[in-house]
Formats: sequence, structure tokens, C-alpha cells
Amino acid sequence: MTDISTRPADGGAGGTALSLKTFAPAIFLAPAVLLLAVYLLYPLVDSFRLSLFDWNGLGSDARFVGLDNWKKLATDALFWEAAWNNILLAFFSVLVQMPIALVLAVVLDNAGKGSRILKILYFLPLLMSSVALGVLFKYFYDVTFGPLNALLDFVGLGYLAQDWLGDTRFALGAVIAVVCWQYIPFYMVLFMAGLASFPADISEAAKLDGASEATIFWKMKLPHLKGTLRTAIVLSVIGALRYFDLIYVMTGGGPEGASELMATYMYRNVFSSFQLGYGSTVASGMFIVVILIASVLMRLSKRYETEV
Amino acid sequence: MSSKLVSKLSALACGAAMMAVVPFAAHSADKVISVWDLQTTEGAVKVIRDAADRFEKANPGYKVEDTHILNDAYKTKIKIAFGANEPPCVFSSWGGGPFREYVAADQVVDLTPYLDKDPAFKDRFAPASFGAVTVDGKIYGLPAENTAIAVVFYNKEMFEKLNLTPPKTWDELLQVIDVLKKNDIAPFALANKNKWTGSMYYGYLVDRIGGPEAFANAAQRKDGGSFADPVFVEAGKRLQELVNLGAFQKGYNGLDYDVGGSRRLLYTGKAAMELMGTWEASTIGNENPEFAKKLGFFPFPSVPGGKGDPSDLLGTLGDNFISVTKACPEKDKAVELIKFLTDDTAAAGRVADSRMPPIKNLKIDNPFLQEVSKLVTNAKSVQLWWDQELPPKLGELHKDTSQALFGLSKTPEQVAEEFEAAAKAELK
Repeated sequence: MTDISTRPADGGAGGTALSLKTFAPAIFLAPAVLLLAVYLLYPLVDSFRLSLFDWNGLGSDARFVGLDNWKKLATDALFWEAAWNNILLAFFSVLVQMPIALVLAVVLDNAGKGSRILKILYFLPLLMSSVALGVLFKYFYDVTFGPLNALLDFVGLGYLAQDWLGDTRFALGAVIAVVCWQYIPFYMVLFMAGLASFPADISEAAKLDGASEATIFWKMKLPHLKGTLRTAIVLSVIGALRYFDLIYVMTGGGPEGASELMATYMYRNVFSSFQLGYGSTVASGMFIVVILIASVLMRLSKRYETEV
Repeated sequence: MSSKLVSKLSALACGAAMMAVVPFAAHSADKVISVWDLQTTEGAVKVIRDAADRFEKANPGYKVEDTHILNDAYKTKIKIAFGANEPPCVFSSWGGGPFREYVAADQVVDLTPYLDKDPAFKDRFAPASFGAVTVDGKIYGLPAENTAIAVVFYNKEMFEKLNLTPPKTWDELLQVIDVLKKNDIAPFALANKNKWTGSMYYGYLVDRIGGPEAFANAAQRKDGGSFADPVFVEAGKRLQELVNLGAFQKGYNGLDYDVGGSRRLLYTGKAAMELMGTWEASTIGNENPEFAKKLGFFPFPSVPGGKGDPSDLLGTLGDNFISVTKACPEKDKAVELIKFLTDDTAAAGRVADSRMPPIKNLKIDNPFLQEVSKLVTNAKSVQLWWDQELPPKLGELHKDTSQALFGLSKTPEQVAEEFEAAAKAELK
């Protein structure tokens, strides 16, 4: 990025039109490039550097240990369990969010003006802060006082009532459900935008030709949406792999690491165990896992690429 | 046109920068001493600000900038500040393992010479209270806020109705549990998402079975102390015995203490007892004054054949300790300030706020604090919370493994071995 900002120097004495042409993009890009460099590139590179040290994050007694932390990470069962939980989260996010968001988008798209209030209602979860949601759902899942178990009891399914957040078998699933619920509106809006760009005259023409609503959706609208769908899936997977907040608030990664994600594991290493060096290794390892999965996903879905 | 725009923009930027600088410049005559703590209740903040005002009056030209940060946010913020080499002048801690990391990193001012110069000030504190902030015989902090020990709180009304008396021994405890279970009441309310909450049970059991030396020797690697000692295994077995008896309400490993998960069970009469730090009394007093009237407490029961004295306590004398950082440009003044923050006037303010700094001959007329004070005075040992005493990495592991004990997913033997292996690697 530095060569961009130095480029204007050689255009100075020449014609003003030329210097303007070289100047303008650089000036407009500079703030973004600078911010990215300071807040994205530098921390990224620095966390890779820190991952080579044994350091508690205090004072100046950082000890260079080479690849020791990376060797430890490779065999750290807790990290791989966390990574697996991330993958589960990504899988279920896509599996749950995409169909529901799509159905909602199609329904709202067809419902016309009367659906305004529903659009707002459905959008609400996305507007709430994750921390508030987390606290809310902690009450929702409460074994003794929570409405979920009370509801199960009420409809005669009391035997299904569970210790949702305190049982290692259910904690991750319980949080995944909330994460999915929270982000459905986001994808719904994305799909609604995609559907809105579907030309009305085409569907009208199809109708005149005798195509049913179902045919129009499956054969025309859905193919039209495939670019959007691809974007949505990639966003959802990447988001799930980097996920932190609801897990941190609702379970803290527990009980017994049952809902630990890579990000919460990193946080615990850095801030609770005072292992900044190893925590940075976890962060960098997480970065590599996300990049790998994201690029495989992008590559596999390349043929669906369209402008969104 | 664009160059005009640029010059206008840069003029604007300059102006903004100037404006940002000016207010600071106006006060630069005052030397600022920054204080960070995690006292966020009105009463506690008032005591601190009041001491700061007195310090400012006695030291013209100095200003105290006190910042009060919520517990969990504080832990994160203070750590980042030290890592970035921009710590405040004065900071709070719980002493113990995490604090020793700061001392080992050469970040904290040794207060011993200052205290030696002013023995009258130093001797006011209960001697044991310096334990958590003493490293290699040097004192690095002053006990400031409170004395907090873990006791079993219980619903007096419920005990009376069921003809129960506070259990003194393990067998009596089992009987109480039995009666409560028969009446469909969960004996103990426990919110163990936080893990330190359940850790107290394990800590007390180890003490009652093996005496305070069992943990102290293992943590300090002396006299053959080991976390694989049968004492730790037996403590784990007793703990799981309670779990298997249904001594804790359903869902204990998922409940969050910070949002009142365990207290709600007490308030609604769904649970009868809770092992918790004595701060719980004032929390309950604030949250539910009606219930507070039914609240009683007793010390953790003894275990048959155990070596531990039932007067031993788990807790902290000082609760929060205040220290001065080496990065502070005005160290001498900062030390003077923390003396103001812990002097008799400040202590009296804390007593009025229902807290009990570990100071000898403290005048207390709150009956609850008087009882706590009696327990502390009679205690042969007050062991700091394990998760605070141990180095941070082991503290985390201890919390994780004790939660696993509660979850019955690890056996006491497994936990003891896993912990000893980690301790061997970490403590040398």
C-alpha cells in the first residue's frame, strides 16, 4: 500500500489532468488502505509473530520458542474439538438458515404490501445485541424457571425437558439453535433483494404460458438466486467458523468444553490462562482453518458464481 | 478544485487535532495519578473518591483520575493495558497466582520499604491479609476492600419448618440432604457455569479431609505435596457422592451465577442452601430484602476422620488489593495515595457500606459482619480461593476439572492425575 501513496510524487510537475487522475484514486483509497493495514494486516502478521513466543502478555520476558506452540496446537485435542464444534455450527447454520430464510423471503415476496409489519417483525432478531439475546435465551433455557421446559411440560412432553445449557450433550445444539435464529433475517433480506431483481414480466409471461407458481419458483426464480445463495452460504460458513459472542455469553464454551469454539478457546488462553503466545497460535490456527475451508468452498461453488 | 478540497480538509483535520489537544493542555499543570478498580457500586465508589479528594487536598498539584470497571471487563482491560505497556498508576487485584505473574514480570512496585518506614500504618492490618500479595517475603499490595469467606447460606424458615438444624458434620449434612430431597427441595443451589462457584466445594472438602497443608504443599511443591495425593481423590469422591445423591438442583453446570441463577432458586424456595462468599448476604439484601430476613449461615461441615479443622476457611482477607505499577511516573505519590485509600477513614467508610476490610480492632455493629469477623478471628487458616491462588493456567485447569467432577464425566482419580501432571509442568 505504500507504493500507492508515493505514486503521486512523480505526477506533480506534469499536466494537471494527469496528476489529478493519479492523485484522486490514491487519496480516496488511502484512508481505507491505512485502516485495513493498521487494524487488519498488522494484527494478523503480529499474531503470527507472537505465536512463536512463550509469553504471558506482561512485561518483556517473552521467550522465543520457534514452532513449539504450533506443535502443541497440532496435538491439542481441545483445539480440534473446538474446531469440530465450529464445523458443526457452520453445517447446521447453512442447513437451517438457508431453507427457512428462503421460504420466508418467497412468502414475503409474494405477500405484497400487507407483509410490511411481518418484514419488520422477522428482521428484529438481527437488530438485537448478541449479549442481550444471550441473556434472554439463558432464561429461556433455564431448567427450573425457563419457558421452554415449562412449555414441554404443558403439552405433555415433560419427559423431553432437558438441562439445555448444562448438559454436555445439548449445550452446543441449544446455542446453535439461537445462532441460527438470530441470523435467519439477514439471509432472508439477502434473498428478498435477489427475488426483487427477478423481472416481473418474465414470470408474467411464464404464467401466460401456463407455468404454475411452483414451476416458476423451481425452474426460474431459484436458478436466478443461485449467485445470492452462494454468497449467503459462504458468508454463513465463514461467520460460523469465526463465531464468538453468543457462545461466550450463554455457555462460556462449557460445560466441560462441550460448546467450546476456536474463538472462545483463544479468548480463554489469552485472558484467563495468561498465555498470549499460545493464544496467538490458536488465533493464527483459526485463521488458517477459516481460510482453508472458505477457499475450498469458494472453489467448489465457483460454477454458481454470478453478480449479486 | 481537488487540491483546494485537500487543503480545506487538512485545515479541518488540523483544527480538529488542535481542539482535541487543548483541553488536556489546560490541565497539564496537574500531575495525574490514574486509578483503576472494579468497584462499581455507589457505596464503594464513594469511599474511593472520598479518599482521592483527601489526597488531592493534602497534595496540591496532583489529581486522581479514578476509573471503575465491571468485574469481567476489568480483568480483560487491565491485562491489555499491561501488555501494551500503558498500565494505570494504581490498580486492584485479588492477589495470588495471577497477581504473581505481574510481579514476576517486574511491573509492580515493592511496598515493603514504604511500609517499613510507617510501621504504625502497616500494623493496623491483620498480618495474614498480606499473604496473597507477598512474593518472596516482599509485600506488593495493600488489602483494601473486604473480608470474604465461603460459608453455607441457608433458608432459616425452611429449616425450622422441616425441623432441621445446620449440620456440623458430613453425616448430619447427608441427613439434611435426605430430608430436603424427600420434600422435593433441592438441597444446594449451585450456578456452576462460572466454575469458581463449584470449586469452593472441592476446596473445602480437600481442607476438611487433608487439612490446609494438603493444598498449600501441593501448590507450593514442598514437603512432598502432590495433587495426586489420596486427599484430592477422596475429596473428589465425596463431591461426586453429593452429586449422585442429588444434592444440587438440576442443571447446575449450566446456570450462570452472574445473572442470579442460583439465588433465584433460593428466593423461590426451590433450593435450601448455597455455598458462597459472604458478599452474597449484601447481594441478597439488595435484591430481595424480604428473603434476606430468612437468611442464615453456617461453616462448611467437617468430614469424619479428616485432618482439617472445621474452623478453617476458604476465602480472602482483603478481597481486593491495591498496588502501584512500576510504569507510574509518580510512584512515591501513588504509594501515598493507596495509603489514603486504605486508611482508617476509608475503612470506616467501607464498614458503613457493610464491608469489612481486614483491619485489627475494626468497629463493627452490623450483626452479620460481627459473626463473619468471629469466624475469621477463630480460623486457624484462611486459604485464598484456589482459582486465585494458583497460577492462571492451573487456575483455569482447576476450574475446568472441578466442573468435570460435578458433571461426572471424569473420575476423581483422573482429575487428580491430570492436575498433578499439569502442576508438575507449570510449578517448578
